[in-house]
Amino acid sequence: MNEDLKKTLLNPIFKGNPITVLVLGICSSLAVTVQLKGAFVMALSVIIVTGLSSLVVSLLRNSIPNRVRIIVQLVVVALMVILVDQVLKAYAYAIDKQLSVYIGLIITNCIVMGRIEAFALGNKPIPSLLDGLANGAGYGMILIIVAFFRELLGSGTLFGLRVLPASYVPNNLVILPPMALIILGCIVWVQRSIQKDLQEK
Amino acid sequence: MNTNSNVYTIVYTTLIVVVAAAILSIAAMALKPKQQANIKAETISQMLTAAGFSSKEDLGKLGNDKVLEMYSENIKTAFLIDAQGNKTGELETEVTGIELQDNLKLENKNIASGNPSLPVYVFEKDGEDINVIPCYGAGLWGPIWGYIAFNADCSEIVGAYFDHESETPGLGAKIKDEAWFREQFKGKAVDFAHPDNPFGIIKGGAPKEDRSKIDAITGATMTCNGLDAALDTWFKAYMPFLEKKAAAAAEDDDCCCEEGCEDGCCEDGEGHQHEHHHHHNHQEG
Repeated sequence: MNEDLKKTLLNPIFKGNPITVLVLGICSSLAVTVQLKGAFVMALSVIIVTGLSSLVVSLLRNSIPNRVRIIVQLVVVALMVILVDQVLKAYAYAIDKQLSVYIGLIITNCIVMGRIEAFALGNKPIPSLLDGLANGAGYGMILIIVAFFRELLGSGTLFGLRVLPASYVPNNLVILPPMALIILGCIVWVQRSIQKDLQEK
Repeated sequence: MNTNSNVYTIVYTTLIVVVAAAILSIAAMALKPKQQANIKAETISQMLTAAGFSSKEDLGKLGNDKVLEMYSENIKTAFLIDAQGNKTGELETEVTGIELQDNLKLENKNIASGNPSLPVYVFEKDGEDINVIPCYGAGLWGPIWGYIAFNADCSEIVGAYFDHESETPGLGAKIKDEAWFREQFKGKAVDFAHPDNPFGIIKGGAPKEDRSKIDAITGATMTCNGLDAALDTWFKAYMPFLEKKAAAAAEDDDCCCEEGCEDGCCEDGEGHQHEHHHHHNHQEG
């Protein structure tokens, strides 16, 4: 049982990472990775939303009418997202402003619904919570890696602090969404060369 | 229980929606005062930044209460004006009940319909008045807005601050992030001779000697065009007020000379008027 929980917790971080292996949640990972601070708060918000939504849906799993289960799940996810957004607006206003619409768009993040459908509907609350948290963390980790490169090369800063010399000319291409996709591609490449079983024949 | 029956499904979904709605309303009600305080402090710190009292970053670290205090200590008066530049009402400036005219979206519509109620915030810094006015318009992805600070007779811009809802980070968002862009506004002026185009943000570089033009941001053409249009609209709406201020200042100088006061004052007045005159010529030329 403990072994199972450990697997639930660690698998989504690397071996079954939602972004690089399941290729879910790509759109928001392109949008919020221009700066590390934004990526960090976004990662945290997604972790909270995936964790709590999976927990709540798992608690309700035996009572949800099968025909409307997607709608019920959406209501739960939307509830969590709006709560996170409202709390950020009250206690982290500057960051909420920076992330603007993307907090709201967590609702459409495929990872949340994906994990509910694939895991929370058929598992007990505690493993579901862990699965949600771990998948959010796997998503967040990739977000932070991509944001690291984009902020470093695109602005010459990390967390808003200048690390590259002032003579460095910021690469404007890195700031645009296509470059996030290219960096993401590089991460997938690195992961697949380490993890040979992911390579297609 | 049969969880697939119609009755169960309807009752279940109704229940879920009602519970979710209840949780959200409670959260919204509980957090609303804090959220509105944040928005108010944000608006005020944008004005204080434009007027040159502090920087946005420093004000962010101060916390809401300190920002409100700073506003209350430094503001002289705040009032509303109509389309003709006449005062129509006062805004409370005491720290306990600071009033702002912050529905800029609505006023933007009212400007178009010719019946706006525009705010003017008059701060006092080093013994001189600073008049702060807002602007509002459409960027590339969403609204953009900001505050522009004028000197006592509104003949010169002394600072500006801009914000946006969803401009592209690293491109359009630079209207807020890049200090050099805001710094350009210092020493510029509104072109009274061209009421339809009183200010310009010029792609490819503004002519240095033109007092009402600044450089646009590379890669942010649409946002800069939006800001240019917003400034033109709002400056035009404020123009009667700005012109009255300038005229009143010129009159003050005249009075002073007629009454035969000290030499310094007279020279000051003349020098000032001369400068103003010169400026005017240049704009027409």
